[in-house]
Amino acid sequence: MWKILRDLLRYNWEFTAGVILLAGVAIVALLSFVSPYPPLDVYVVAPDLPPSMEHWLGTTSRGQDVFWQLSVAIRNTLAFGIVVALISRVIALAVGLFAGYAGGPVDRLLMSVNDTFIVVPIFPILVLFYFVMRDQMSWGLLALVAACLGWAYDARLIRSIALSLKTREFTAQSAFSGMNAGEIVTREHLPYVMPVVFTTTMNNMNWSIGLEVTLSVLGFTDVNTPTIGGMIYWANQHAALVSGIWWWIAAPVALVIAVFVALFLLAVSMNEYIDPRSRLARMGGG
Amino acid sequence: MGPILAVEGLKAYYQMRYFGTLREVRAVDDITLEIQRDEIYGLAGESSSGKSTLIKTIARAIRPPLNVVDGAVRFDFAGQGPRDIYTLSAPELAATRWRHLSYIMQGSMNVLNPVRRIQHSFVDFAFRHMDLPMPAFLRRVEEHLGHLSLRPDVLESFPHELSGGMRQRVTIALATVCRPDFIIADEPTTALDVVVQKGVLEMIRRLQREMGSSVLFVTHDMAVHANLTDRLGIMYAGRLVEEAPTRALFRQPLHPYTAHLIRSLPRIGDDTPRHGLEGRPPNLASPPPGCRFHPRCPLAMEVCQQTTPVMQELAPGHRVACHAAAQGILP
Repeated sequence: MWKILRDLLRYNWEFTAGVILLAGVAIVALLSFVSPYPPLDVYVVAPDLPPSMEHWLGTTSRGQDVFWQLSVAIRNTLAFGIVVALISRVIALAVGLFAGYAGGPVDRLLMSVNDTFIVVPIFPILVLFYFVMRDQMSWGLLALVAACLGWAYDARLIRSIALSLKTREFTAQSAFSGMNAGEIVTREHLPYVMPVVFTTTMNNMNWSIGLEVTLSVLGFTDVNTPTIGGMIYWANQHAALVSGIWWWIAAPVALVIAVFVALFLLAVSMNEYIDPRSRLARMGGG
Repeated sequence: MGPILAVEGLKAYYQMRYFGTLREVRAVDDITLEIQRDEIYGLAGESSSGKSTLIKTIARAIRPPLNVVDGAVRFDFAGQGPRDIYTLSAPELAATRWRHLSYIMQGSMNVLNPVRRIQHSFVDFAFRHMDLPMPAFLRRVEEHLGHLSLRPDVLESFPHELSGGMRQRVTIALATVCRPDFIIADEPTTALDVVVQKGVLEMIRRLQREMGSSVLFVTHDMAVHANLTDRLGIMYAGRLVEEAPTRALFRQPLHPYTAHLIRSLPRIGDDTPRHGLEGRPPNLASPPPGCRFHPRCPLAMEVCQQTTPVMQELAPGHRVACHAAAQGILP
């Protein structure tokens, strides 16, 4: 495992760049635990100060230090992305692998549910959810709803792989040796789809973070929890760009772009390395 | 003890329903045969003659739309007495597999999962069938691999890191590691070049001799049958048309189709052109009436178009289903 990571860092610049970017973002997020200011309090510092040695990224019109606000925001946003990705991966894998392997009525049933989720417009549903739930709309609930809406494309993708795996000889051999459907799917097919799952995890995190930012910017989430989108929401509320407080908007936007780029680079390089065949091709073999 | 395998009147059809009409492809139609202990039984026939369907049905490795319509497949493993494999419960069937009955599948180069190391394939497929703790199991596997001149470090490899011949030997090792009584081999050498093929065939022969197992060996390659098998059955269009000890069959085939198969083999020093048989194998969804071979048969008579010939034993151990042969007309 460590050897693979070392080789990846040495020979794959996409991976190196992605790791460095993500590590930087992670450090910022972890710094939130030693923040000198309580994240929810306002007017703890002088408002509207430009970046300086004392306040690295300046302060907001609400009297918060942008850097320390940002570190809490990115922690919440990253956690949101990871939770959504994990929950939706589990659903996508379960639905995709079993639909593909079982086929027939099971497949038709699961895929009709799946296709419903694909065609349903996600954004209006989330907005509707916000208006229905209002004050109960918490960070965790939003993550759960987003995960339940974000698995369908990937489940179809995984199903298409499972359909092909089902007809391979090793599946017939597994069935002949007495493995049941659960064992075949988890022991034989799951390792095969893992590269795809890793890539879709990164994509899904990008998607869910983007979704969260969009909803927060528009004020359709719990804006009191500091997130990247929440920060931009408050900056807009105070007309930060008009009044020249550009650092209030620039800092969260730059950081979230860094996250997107890092995840994209990791997705690209992961995919290439988890599949042993492309790994070998890169080394000059096979 | 009786034969290890007795197939009686086996019918296995692919049954599909299109818009309410049942469409049947009769890939295995009324086949009866017996396989003795400690023998290699060959099954020959061209593509789409139902060879693979027959052995899948024998191994009970079938899934819809392929269904067994009639007949029985009775295995008699190690004095347990004959039992129809289709009456076994799921746990009984699982206990039978690998220990008593193993199956080298068609395209067996691909039975190894491409993203798992060989050792995982052995553990996944064979471990559950041997009552051994894991370290003893792995020692047994290594020993067995050594038997097939494979080094133990192949266990750490991925399938794509091995050559075709090595992969083939790993597959055979996988199927024989539990020393089964009955091995079904579906074209295990078809994708290999003749040199590797020879090595693999010798290995199968040696393993079979050592373990005293029976082998049902399927290939369309008559030269392989001539070198390997003790008895040979010829299939045409889902039916068994002739069966005899391999030597007798090659010396004097009684069915005109067998005669053509054997005549198509090249011989050193013989440069007469080989004539292909006219026509194509019939569509098994609507096979011709009577003898299924009659539209292509040079000896076809009136009776061939009307009645289906039955298997008759014309010489000791030599059975044939042909109206002409029954009347003493040799191809």
